[in-house]
This record gives sequence, C-alpha cells and structure tokens, in this order.
Amino acid sequence: MQNTVLVVGGGPAGLSACAGVIGAGRNVVLVEKEDRLGGAPILSGYAKLVPSGEWAKDAIGRMVKHVEDSPAAKVYKSTRVVSLDGGPGNFTATLSNGEKVSAGSVVLTTGFTHFDSINKPEWGFGTFEDVMTTTQMEQMVASGKIACPSDGRVPERVCILLCVGSRDRQIGREWCSKICCTVSTNLAMEIKEISPQTDVFIYYMDIRTFGLYEDKFYWKSQEEFKTKFVKARIAEVTRAPDGKRLLVKGEDTLVKRPIVIPFDIVVHAIGMDPNLENTEIARVFGIGLEKHGFIDRAEHYTNTCGTTRRGIYVAGAALGPETIDDSISQGQAAASRAVADLYALVQKTA
Amino acid sequence: MAIHEKSLIDPDRIMTHESLVVDGVDVSGHWNTMVAPRFLGDYDDDFNRIIRQYPGGENVHRCWQCGSCTNSCTMYAQNTDFNPRYWIYLTNLGLKSEILKDKDIIWTCVSCNKCTNICPKDVRPEGVMKALAHWLEDEGHTPKTRSSIFDEEFTGQVLDHGRIEDAHVLLNFLRKTQQSYFQDWLIETVKRLMRHLPVRMLIVLGWNFVFTPKTHSWGRTGDVLREYVREQKEAAHARMKEAAHV
Repeated sequence: MQNTVLVVGGGPAGLSACAGVIGAGRNVVLVEKEDRLGGAPILSGYAKLVPSGEWAKDAIGRMVKHVEDSPAAKVYKSTRVVSLDGGPGNFTATLSNGEKVSAGSVVLTTGFTHFDSINKPEWGFGTFEDVMTTTQMEQMVASGKIACPSDGRVPERVCILLCVGSRDRQIGREWCSKICCTVSTNLAMEIKEISPQTDVFIYYMDIRTFGLYEDKFYWKSQEEFKTKFVKARIAEVTRAPDGKRLLVKGEDTLVKRPIVIPFDIVVHAIGMDPNLENTEIARVFGIGLEKHGFIDRAEHYTNTCGTTRRGIYVAGAALGPETIDDSISQGQAAASRAVADLYALVQKTA
Repeated sequence: MAIHEKSLIDPDRIMTHESLVVDGVDVSGHWNTMVAPRFLGDYDDDFNRIIRQYPGGENVHRCWQCGSCTNSCTMYAQNTDFNPRYWIYLTNLGLKSEILKDKDIIWTCVSCNKCTNICPKDVRPEGVMKALAHWLEDEGHTPKTRSSIFDEEFTGQVLDHGRIEDAHVLLNFLRKTQQSYFQDWLIETVKRLMRHLPVRMLIVLGWNFVFTPKTHSWGRTGDVLREYVREQKEAAHARMKEAAHV
C-alpha cells in the first residue's frame, strides 16, 4: 500500500504541504525544478514579509530546514516531473533524471510567474535604468541602501505604479493580483525607513489592502510614513529634459488634469501571472486550467484543494494570485486531503 | 476677439504681451498670444508639511479621499465650489497653484464641524480649512480678515496701556476696515449711554477717551510681552521652515 505523497514545487505552499504530510506520519517526495528550495520569496530575494515583518530568508528558511532535515522527506532539486501514470492510490511519476517515484496522491504547488514588465513598454522598464519592479526594489531594500541604479544618487522621490500586469484587458490580465497594494505600501515604508529624505508616491486606481492589512499597511504607510497616494493610472514614463530624472505622465483623475511629474525612481508593482509552464504542467498531470491560465479547481466547497483529476491536489499561487500566508494554509489543507486519500485507500483495501 | 479659440481655454492660461521678442524675432501685436500648458508639472513637497504645522492641519496627510467631508459640508450645500475633500488632496500633493484659485472662498468655512464628526480617518477637515485660511493670510494671498484686524487693535491697546478703551477699539476697528463711524447701532448706543448713565460715569468715560490712562504700574510690561510674542512667532516660523526641509 502506498505511503507516500508527491509534492511538486518547493515554495511556501509546497513546503507547508510537505510539513503536513510529515506531521501526519507519512512520507513525502518533493520535486523542485530550481537548484534550491523556498520558491519566489527566496529565488526573487524578497525583503521583509507581509504581515510578520520577518526577513524572507529567515521565515522561509525555517520551512526549508524543517523539510530538508526530516527523514520522511526525499527532496529532488533541479528536477522536473516529465510524466505521471497510474491513478489515485497508485501514481507513478517519471522524473527528468530518469528516476521513478511511486505515490498515493499528488500535491501541485507549482506557483506563479512574476509579470514581466517588458510587456508594458510605455512604462519604461528595460528602457530606463531607474525603472524597476517591486521585486528589484525588494532586493534593494534587502541590500540596505536606496539609490538610483543609473548613477547611485539618493532619490528625492520614488513612485510606485500599481496594477502593472493586473486589471488590464489590453494585455489579457483580467485579474487583480491581490498582494501588490499591500506589498507596495509595505515597500513605501521600508524605503522611507532606509532613506528618510525620500518621498514616496503611490499611483493607484483602487487600494486593495484587504482584511487586516488595511491599518497595518495602508493606514500606517500614509499616517506614519507620509506616503502620498495619487489617483492616476500612468500613461507613460519618459526621460526628463535634464537627462537624469524620469517624467511620469498621466491624468490625475481627482484634479481632472494631465500630470507630468519628475521622479528619480519608478517602481512597477508587478502582478502574478499563471506559471509560464502551466500548459506543460496541465499536459503532464492531465489536469485542467481555468480561463486565466491558473490551475482549475475541482469543486469549491467540498474539495477546494482538488484539481480536475482525482488524486491530484493543488495549493497556493498555482490556483491564482495568493499571499504567502494563505499559500501556507492551503498547503496544509492540500496535505490533509492527500494524506486522507492514503488512509481512505488503506481502509478500502482492508 | 481676434482668436475665437481663446474662449475655449481657461482665462488664466492665456498669456498676451504688449511686445515680445522670441529668438530674435519681434512678435509684438496680435500674434504673440501664448497658452500656458494644461498639465500639472510638479508637486511642492514642502506644502503639506507646512500646513501640518498650523493648528488644525496636523492630520491632513491621513486623507484617503472618501468625500464624506464635502458631502456633509454646510458650505458645499450653498456653493459647490466649496470642496474640502479637493483642497485636502491638493494640500497633500502640494498643488499650491490650484489651491490659490479658491483662495477667496476657503475662509468661508462656518466651522459647523460636521466634516470632523463624519471623517473616518480623523483628518479634522474643519481644522484644515482653518489652517489653509491662516496660511493664505500669512502669505499675503488674502487680505487680513476683519477678525485679525480686530485682534491686532485689541492686543495693541492691551500691550500699550494694560487695558483697552472700548471706544478706541471700536472706532479704530471701523476705520481700519473702512467702515463708517456712523453705524445706526452705535449712534443708538451712544444716545442711550448719554440718557441713562450717571454724569460722574460719563465724565470718567470722557476722561478715559481723551487721556487713555495706563493700568497702574504697567511700566515696561507691554514691551516685555511684545518681545515674548515676537520670539514665540519667530520660533514657530523657524519650526515650520525646518519641518518643511526635513
């Protein structure tokens, strides 16, 4: 009888799913395509996490250590699943290194891909050195020094543009990426903390710091850190006549006037795309994708972690834009379903 | 009008010159009309820091533009140009030139405080209106208000004499605000004083009016107070300047 759960993807959701399986006394095989565990927070070098304020490498590092230290976990890095045969209770996965893994159930925690800002060329990413993504700004914060990449000067003004790669029918992104508002308000505070002389502006259509993020991030960044919120969707970013600064052009919808405002750094609050490899993942695992390209759910209420194929579960940002905290919860939930399958199949055969 | 399109443009953006030379070419006459661009070209980052230094303006940066203040506003019901929500936004971004367009109505806030009661972020919009009105007056964008003129007259007399002389306060206030001395209510008041006040009191009144005596042993008290007030004002101004450059 199968005693093993296969987890695909070693980010927060996957690590949490592994911990869930280990905690239930079963074995887990974790397959990660990159050469290290931790997923986006580690691979992209996030700074302090929302809402704990803990450094990503510490918080996620703990999760990684828990799984790597467990004798019940077998971890494959730089490895992919190339095919999956069998069915519930008796899957066999073939890995890219040629090994075969038998598992009673599968949890997909294949995550997302950061939106590539190059797809919105009018906002200057790839054209101007001082236009960067939230991920890059997180790395700058982690380095402890805020400076313009072009010439190293300390920025007088930084602006963060929200909804880059989200809520944009023009580029086929008809979803809200959910976390960028909170991440951006958090980032605004981190910038101000490191560089008090820098003023931070956030250009928004709506502010969606949902739940308890409202006062801890939105209000706090506005009230204590004096972040300025401007209601405008930016039309384009160009070079200022001085050859150094950037001009942010758009319409301030509250003043009902065009604006052309100079900034030193422009940050794109990039959204969460479906994993670039989702079509391949769907083919290998025989599962369906929903209309945006994320992994489809089986049924919302009784099998919320289920994919459209029995015995295969899914958690985290593979399902759609998700927070790290909720990805971790979903990882636990998916693990409990996956382990329940092992037990249910034992009972059936007994 | 020679160029009819001018009517499509805000008057304050049309620039005409009696004579003008551009790149060595004399363009005096009809054809030197220029139109200032419509876009907003910069924010004044110091402005909201300055307004936050004024009593009442401390929380202006908290605003998230819900519009509850404008919705509840007594003055907005009278005049839809009176829009506290909008001015708070302009203050926070430092769009000073836009605020100056409304300088002549900001002071008309009646301090009913409905906005302050309804504000979900504790911005205290009524205080912001006061702060803006004071800033406009301090910067000379609006003339001194009558209440400021009255305060100055009153304080001046106290500092000079240790007391006020009612008739002097009144008459000087009327003079400085270009109002007639012959107010109906004032004439009536004087008539009744003459009719009903004991003669001895009238003599005292008249004596004080003419000789404006000082309070007993007032001495240099007024000078000391004046110096203290000046110092305090300077310190407040310095604080404001400093805050604006942090």
